[in-house]
Amino acid sequence: MKTLKIKIDGKEVTAKPDQTILELATENGIYIPTLCHSPALEPAAMCRLCMVELYEGRRKKFVTACNFPLRRDVEIKTDTPDIRQGRKLIIELLMARCADSPLLQGLAKEYGANVQRFSDLKDDCVMCGLCARVCEKVGGKTLTLSGRGVEIHVNTAFSEASEFCIGCGSCVQICPVNSIVMEDVAGERILKIHGREAARVKLVHCEMCNKHFGPVIDLTKVMSKFDKGAIPPSNANICPDCARIKLAKRIAGRYYDTI
Amino acid sequence: MQQLKQAAESNVNTPRITSPKALEDYRASLASKYGHDVPTVIICCGTGCRPSNAVEVAELLEKGLAEADFQGKIVPHVKATGCHGFCSRGPIVELEPQGIFYQKVKPKDVPEIIEKTIKGGELIKHLQYKDASKKVFTHTNEIPFYAKQSRLVLKNIGKINPFDIDDAIATGTYGALAKALSSMTPGQIIEEVKTSFIKGRGGAGFPTGIKWESCASQIGNRYIICNADEGDPGAFMDRSLLEGDPHRILEGMAIAAKAIGSNRGYIYVRLEYPLAIQTLTQAIQQAEAMGLLGDNIMGTGFNFKVSLSMGAGAFVCGESSALMSSLEGKVGRPRPKYIRSVEKGFRDSPSNLNNVETYANIPDIILKGGEWYKSIGTKESTGTKVFSLTGNVHNIGLVEVPMGVPLREIIFDIGGGVPKKRAFKAVQTGGPSGGCIPAQHLDIPVSFESLDQVGSIMGSGGMIVMDENICMVEVARYFTHFLVEESCGQCTPCREGLIRMEEILERITHGEGREEDPDTLEEIGKFVTNFSLCGLGTSAANPVLSTIRHFREEYETHIRHKKCPAGVCKPLYSLKIDEEKCVGCGICKKRCPVNAITGDKKKPHVLEIEKCIKCMECHKNCDFAAVIVL
Ligand SMILES: Cc1cc2nc3c(=O)[nH]c(=O)nc-3n(C[C@H](O)[C@H](O)[C@H](O)COP(=O)(O)O)c2cc1C
Ligand code: SF4
Ligand code: FES
Ligand code: FES
Repeated sequence: MKTLKIKIDGKEVTAKPDQTILELATENGIYIPTLCHSPALEPAAMCRLCMVELYEGRRKKFVTACNFPLRRDVEIKTDTPDIRQGRKLIIELLMARCADSPLLQGLAKEYGANVQRFSDLKDDCVMCGLCARVCEKVGGKTLTLSGRGVEIHVNTAFSEASEFCIGCGSCVQICPVNSIVMEDVAGERILKIHGREAARVKLVHCEMCNKHFGPVIDLTKVMSKFDKGAIPPSNANICPDCARIKLAKRIAGRYYDTI
Repeated sequence: MQQLKQAAESNVNTPRITSPKALEDYRASLASKYGHDVPTVIICCGTGCRPSNAVEVAELLEKGLAEADFQGKIVPHVKATGCHGFCSRGPIVELEPQGIFYQKVKPKDVPEIIEKTIKGGELIKHLQYKDASKKVFTHTNEIPFYAKQSRLVLKNIGKINPFDIDDAIATGTYGALAKALSSMTPGQIIEEVKTSFIKGRGGAGFPTGIKWESCASQIGNRYIICNADEGDPGAFMDRSLLEGDPHRILEGMAIAAKAIGSNRGYIYVRLEYPLAIQTLTQAIQQAEAMGLLGDNIMGTGFNFKVSLSMGAGAFVCGESSALMSSLEGKVGRPRPKYIRSVEKGFRDSPSNLNNVETYANIPDIILKGGEWYKSIGTKESTGTKVFSLTGNVHNIGLVEVPMGVPLREIIFDIGGGVPKKRAFKAVQTGGPSGGCIPAQHLDIPVSFESLDQVGSIMGSGGMIVMDENICMVEVARYFTHFLVEESCGQCTPCREGLIRMEEILERITHGEGREEDPDTLEEIGKFVTNFSLCGLGTSAANPVLSTIRHFREEYETHIRHKKCPAGVCKPLYSLKIDEEKCVGCGICKKRCPVNAITGDKKKPHVLEIEKCIKCMECHKNCDFAAVIVL
């Protein structure tokens, strides 16, 4: 396959066609900050933190590294004064939404951002959109971006608690500012965004230890995706710990029973 | 409305055109009905004239003419057309073949028009156009507003009945498509468009020929899409084309389809344009019925089907990738993709998107050649451009001029200059994300390049003239506010940056500006320009950056002296009556809603500022410029 000759921060490297700038940089040990990117998801290029300068001939362009596919031999600069200045402003603007985020505080230090430059918007979300994208990807159909312009926010359909949440917790895992909360209370898993209940999922009660564990899921649907017998259905109502104990006992039992 | 419907019905019997030659024969057969010398009474029934009873005038004319006794002479027929461009003078009536122009025609004027002018050959003074110096004009083509224009794209509008395909065919429409289908290869069509060097009229100004070429080189199902979203407030170039000459746009799209190798087209039109939806729907039906669109066009074996798709009217939906998402039935948000839509657009297939006016230029390029087109305009910006001229200017309306004409000519010669003897201050071009151009640049030729050099843009052709009573900081605040409301909110710079800019502009207009504010605005503005995801964000700072660039002292007066010299930002000025200038006519006293003005007739009046609510009624209405802003 044809390879591309790329100069990135002065270093001559090769890239595969359609590889993103971010992938190339990571491969070559060059750090580009990101906020709305996850290698597991399609890039959305919303935060604009990963902006870099691209030179082609005499033309200079600003492009986001997370989604710019390399197709020609170009030069890239990832840390110029203009880029640093822009990143500083992004952080200053986002600090007004989420001043408490350790991630933003770290970035603020790195880019010399004035953390109190803009008045507090009293929000708890940086609008990276990761939760909505991961939710869609896992088939959760719960979190989406609704509203337009300044009003855009993470929400459930019609702002009502969703029935479609599968309680997988991907959104909680992926949120860079830890603003999504998931709690297991009294046999239910509760998902909260902006301090409000977004979904409630029943948890399975373990027949052996009496504790609640994972969310109730439509087992027949899951089972249908596997070959018959791949998952023993008898384990469906037993938590992973007890399942292990049960298995151990079964194996052990084979010996002891015969003694 | 009645006669519009009749035209529609009369087309039921039109033949199916089975070859390019048959089209020419059919066109020749229409001359007796639609020729230039056929006596016709034209009435503008465009969206601008309708609210002033234009349709009623049309109906009365038709009825009156049917009933009148013409003693054997030919009875002229009545034709309702699209917008004549001179909406501030509407409803407009024109008498052909003489070319007599009547303005502001009311239903009650109809009997007089029939008796005096049509039957008696006598002109009616009070319906004639007079310019600011009271000079009277009889014929359309003598009126400076029209005389200085080059109406190429708009040439049929105001001449043909948009609901009648025969009328369009009679003027030559579909002749270019016949030529493209019968005697040109796709490569030749693209070459012709490349030679013309036409750049897209929707805003970005990308060369159309190059776009077509790269779309044609892709593999897969290709789509032809027409951007008829026209979201710029106050702009109506595209609307008037859609309403006045829909077949020209369909013809342009069909030629693009042939060149690019597509058989499926969509027109994305905003729901707020009900008349355009009607004209287009009918035009598509008629063209399909005649074999000028649809399957086996003109018997050449080429198929091209066009459908309408209605947009809900968000400004950002005019952006190409948002438009395609919306067309797919998804949320109309710009897509974060560097892959161009000619490669992967609508339904992930190669898609060619052009603006309405771009397509409308194509038929003439094919008929007369790219070289001909290139001879109009400037080297870099070829052809003509339609502008919608509004604001503080005498002649408000649609204007088509060759690229390269100085701004001054458009505003002062065609537009008739600034009314009420006020001074010109700036012209805002390019829609809400355009820039403001001050008087010292009035002699620049309008082109994509020169507007860019002075910090503005061509955009889709909005042009708002501003006089001395307009505050530039308030203008910047107004447009920034519009863009804050229209931002899709996806990306940080546009969403967060614009609200901070608006916040700063708000405080300046309230007299709480800080010394560093203009610099901060420039800092955020440049960042929003460079870092935003789509064209909305990357152009959103133009209103602010251009006003700071050209009117920085006005910002500083607001900030340092807490004064708004234009008398717009209410907390920042006060009003006074100049004793020397006041003649005591009493108009101000009568207009003031809070009785803040006192004085005897013929004696200087006095304004009590404590009572004044700064509604500016006195200031606006004083004929002696005696109410002064302090
Ligand atoms: C926010 C935004 C709004 C736009 N609105 C329109 C519009 O209403 N009509 C239009 O033709 N182009 C509009 N454009 C430009 C389109 O994205 C696109 O460039 C154009 O339709 C391409 O056609 P052209 O090459 O013929 O100009 C808009 C662009 C942006 C960024
Ligand atoms: S620039 Fe504005 S409109 Fe465009 S994607 Fe970003 S937020 Fe949306
Ligand atoms: S990480 Fe690239 S835009 Fe957010
Ligand atoms: S609508 Fe009649 S002149 Fe514009």
